[in-house]
Amino acid sequence: MSDSTTDALSAVAVDRLSLGEPQWLREQRAHAWDVYERTPMPTTRLEQWRYTDLAKTLDLSALTLSESQPAQDDPTTWPERLRVAMDEDHAASGHIVFIDGRVVHSDLDPSLVAKGVILMSLHEALDQHSHLLREHLTTTVPAEDGKFEALNAALWADGIFLYVPKGTQLDLPVRVTRWLSESGTAYFSRVLIVAESHSRISYVDEVLSDDFSSQTFTSTAVEVVARDGSQVQYVAVQRLGTNAFYQSVQRTLAHRDSKLDTLNVGLGASVSRVDLNAKLIGPGANSDMLGLYFGDASQHFDFNTSQDHLEPNTGSDLLYKGALDGDSRAVFRGIIRVHPGAQKTDAYQTCRTLLLSPGARVDSLPNLEIEADDVKCSHGATVGQLDAEAKFYLMSRGLDRVQAERLVVLGFLGEVMSRLPLGGVVDKVTRAIEEKLAQHG
Amino acid sequence: MPVNETVGDLNLDEYKYDFITTSEPVFRAQKGLSEEVVRQISAHKDEPEWMLDFRLKALKVYESKPMPKWGGDLDGLEAVLDEIYFYVRPQDQMERSWDDVPDEIKNTFEKLGIPEAERKVLAGVGAQYESEMVYHSLREEWQKQGVIFDSIEDGLKNHPELFREHFGTIIPTGDNKFSAMNSAVWSGGSFVYVPKGVSLDTPLQAYFRVNQERMGQFERTLIIIDEGAQAHYIEGCTAPVYSTESFHSGVIEIIVKDNARFRYTTIQNWSNNMYNLVTQRAIVGAGGHMEWLDGNLGSKLTMKYPSCYLMGEGAHGEILSIAYSGDGQHQDTGGKVVHVAPYTTSSIVSKSISKGTGRSTYRGLCKVHEGAHHARSNVECDALLINDTSRTDTYPYIEIEESDASVGHEASVSKIGEEQLFYLTSRGIRADEAMAMIVRGFIEPIAKQLPLEYAVELNRLIEMEMEGSVG
Amino acid sequence: MSDVPVLRIEGLEAKVAESELGILNGLDLQIGKGEIHAIMGPNGSGKSTLAKVLAGHPGYEVTSGTVTFRGEDLLTLEADERSLAGVFLAFQYPVEIAGVSIANFLRTAVQAHLPEGEELDIFDFSDILTERMAMLDMDVTFAERHVNDGFSGGEKKRNEILQMAMLKPKLAVMDETDSGLDIDALKIVADGVNKLLAEDPDMSVLLITHYQRLLDYIKPHHVHVMVDGRIVESGGPEVALELEANGYRTYETIEPSANGSAPVA
Repeated sequence: MSDSTTDALSAVAVDRLSLGEPQWLREQRAHAWDVYERTPMPTTRLEQWRYTDLAKTLDLSALTLSESQPAQDDPTTWPERLRVAMDEDHAASGHIVFIDGRVVHSDLDPSLVAKGVILMSLHEALDQHSHLLREHLTTTVPAEDGKFEALNAALWADGIFLYVPKGTQLDLPVRVTRWLSESGTAYFSRVLIVAESHSRISYVDEVLSDDFSSQTFTSTAVEVVARDGSQVQYVAVQRLGTNAFYQSVQRTLAHRDSKLDTLNVGLGASVSRVDLNAKLIGPGANSDMLGLYFGDASQHFDFNTSQDHLEPNTGSDLLYKGALDGDSRAVFRGIIRVHPGAQKTDAYQTCRTLLLSPGARVDSLPNLEIEADDVKCSHGATVGQLDAEAKFYLMSRGLDRVQAERLVVLGFLGEVMSRLPLGGVVDKVTRAIEEKLAQHG
Repeated sequence: MPVNETVGDLNLDEYKYDFITTSEPVFRAQKGLSEEVVRQISAHKDEPEWMLDFRLKALKVYESKPMPKWGGDLDGLEAVLDEIYFYVRPQDQMERSWDDVPDEIKNTFEKLGIPEAERKVLAGVGAQYESEMVYHSLREEWQKQGVIFDSIEDGLKNHPELFREHFGTIIPTGDNKFSAMNSAVWSGGSFVYVPKGVSLDTPLQAYFRVNQERMGQFERTLIIIDEGAQAHYIEGCTAPVYSTESFHSGVIEIIVKDNARFRYTTIQNWSNNMYNLVTQRAIVGAGGHMEWLDGNLGSKLTMKYPSCYLMGEGAHGEILSIAYSGDGQHQDTGGKVVHVAPYTTSSIVSKSISKGTGRSTYRGLCKVHEGAHHARSNVECDALLINDTSRTDTYPYIEIEESDASVGHEASVSKIGEEQLFYLTSRGIRADEAMAMIVRGFIEPIAKQLPLEYAVELNRLIEMEMEGSVG
Repeated sequence: MSDVPVLRIEGLEAKVAESELGILNGLDLQIGKGEIHAIMGPNGSGKSTLAKVLAGHPGYEVTSGTVTFRGEDLLTLEADERSLAGVFLAFQYPVEIAGVSIANFLRTAVQAHLPEGEELDIFDFSDILTERMAMLDMDVTFAERHVNDGFSGGEKKRNEILQMAMLKPKLAVMDETDSGLDIDALKIVADGVNKLLAEDPDMSVLLITHYQRLLDYIKPHHVHVMVDGRIVESGGPEVALELEANGYRTYETIEPSANGSAPVA
């Protein structure tokens, strides 16, 4: 056993991380570790893990926690790709830079600071806003939810706290850029976003790395609370290298008349698993849930989404689209649950997949559980190839086959991005897909 | 009470099939399932050794498998199974002439409308009462052409090679817990063979009746449609309403050879305390065409997912299903299409209606194996909810291993629209009648495919159920 | 003009159910036997609401006033009972009902209109349906199509007139029947209505329309202008022509309180 070494995923590591932390948080971590140890590792016998075999794709015992010193808050010392990614899309209300699991930089427009907006690392927030953290941390994604939720709650090393006071509206997004570099490492972080009533915020979180020589694991637990009448956009862009295992649990709570939209973009990593649960907990709440992925080589994407309608007059609209090249594989499992009494719910769910090569495969499970009668619910799933007519049309105008295919794929995926008016993200993602498509022949 | 009593005018206020016939069985095995019961069944049927072995092995498999954790609520089932009779032999031998069937049994089927129906249009009729087929007949013209339509037991006796070649090959014993159970205790069902190129222009029909309380029925049907042949098989199921729960678990194996066409129609209207757990599967050869038309109206819980395995190039599979779930009922139904060969096509259309505390679940699989290029599949599920206590679920599994395949799935959930109701009532139609009209319209695409007497039956059921559902 | 009006509306106020939004604000109107009335008004004046309230749409609530139909209180009747009493609403937006054939639908509706205990003769019904469809220039195969399902705008409106022809109402309320119709379709529809009027000169008609166009083909005896949920002017066909020339602007400045009770024809 590697329990004795401080850098293994172990109770010893939990203790080490707890050093200097307030009692409530130490207890929270210890409890989470306890839940983690009691919870068996999910197997493919579980419906939610049916198509992602952790026994074959993840070896937690081979991973260690990062023990390197945090990088400096000095852009000249940062990796070039990180800087490029930031420069591509720099206009923001504030920035956070994560390097190897630790926040190394944060800034926020001073006028927003004056209005009471908070954007900082969880460690800073523990010092300055302990009561807010204590109120919210792990309440939306608790350890009890599952093996990975527990592991994250026990071992998170850093994270982001974003708080927007009542009525405060941010015109520009908050941008988070993360860089990972250590092969064989497990990273655990959390994001906590609280948007008070009638506030407005967009949050874009991008993670990047080069290829790793051995498996590297990154786990993020995301908690988003949108209070009455607020508008929140949460965007996650994943551009990790091979040998990365990206695991993200996201839960959004939409209160009365709020609009809480999400977009998950999956481009990189060898294995990517996203669990997204949108809870509509106040009448009139609405969530658009967008997803977009492009797989090649032997990439494996697994999106597990749920839309929980708990109150009347709530709406949700999910659209996930992906293209799969090489021997890549995608799993989409989504469920709409309309709970008893959630009348006048409008809930939709669509997943569409393009298979670009003979080795690609996809499994889709779009589910519905409806326990109220006055609802409008539908789901649709399609799997197909490139639109041959569209391709032919473009080729008849002089484009070659490869160019035509690229355009058709971009057009197919573009529908998702067109629904989220965040220009910088759209450009960035489009470029990244074009890069991947350039390898498609 | 109606005086002009035709078949179509029985008392509508009650479950139509709730009548009990008093007939003494000639043999009844002890309650519950045991090796002794299995041996008794086999001995009563005077079976070859290999079949007894097959049954005993199946019993072991059954015992080793846990109850399914998915689907409907099976928590109370083990207790029910301890209390039911797995084998009840109503008479000593099967009859070929309707006149020879004992009067009590004959009365039962007369009330259900056979052999009246046979005289009308059918190519052949079979009737199962409790555990055994009590009657089987086939028109002479078809006998002459080599068509076999027999009880499954006579199939084993009279056509041992054909039987053994196919029996248990489509649905292996261990496919699921209930196919294992059926393999151990099967009794009754049909054996059908349609020779190469023979087209039956009218259907074969089998009626299944459970009469006795605490009875389990385990029919086993094996159907072989040889190359280029065509046939349609219809089964209807009913039972009286007892206060205790009953159990029905059939296994239906179908082989549709190259370029053959076959349709299997089931209208299940079991009483509302019946567990109905059925495994139905067809394999389809090149250019073959298989259709399941599945109507689930009765039972407490039905779990049934007719399947098409499209094994040969250009094979086509189709599943049309209607489910009606009233108070306390759960229809967990759907279908599976598995594309193994290139250029195979399939379609599933499912319509469900949930009323009161009824729950309708669609559970389906569309799988395209690698190499099944140019496969196409389309699935449509529509659910209609009548009350705020009704529930519907949709669980489709779509597994695509072949890039050159095109698959679509769509599902929708709706209630009866206020505007539709207003439109119809503004033309003088009573609100409950308007509801029934909208519901009938909802299932029309499938109902129009049903044999007439079943379509009439279905309409009557809807009419009855919608009465008093408004205001 | 006859002594006992077919329809008498007095002080009718109505709102959208479960809301505070009042749409009819004290409407008075009287229609005699065999009379053709037209109500014209700008968008949002409450014309279509009046049509739906008369037919008993559950989405509206009458808060005040009375509606008497042939001496009977219409407001206490359910939608189907109003139809049986002789009120027919030709919908502005006919509703699609998948899976239900027009023949089946009309058979059920015609049967419902027969006196208790009387069975509809299916052959007679078919004959009448065929004849009525011919009158409206409809192909017989139309009867097997599902109610309004996938119909063009013109087909939907013709289907409304077909139903009217089969059910023979005492009062036909035609809600913007001209909307969405090209001139040929409009002529066929108007022609159908005129034939029905010729057959039964006692039938009363209430035309609800935004435009004068329809009134070129179905000649009203009386024209009313509706603004803000009440009748603000009534007169002969000349009122419609004035509207055509001057538009509704003249009425928009009218102070609701200054008008008092509207003149009744």
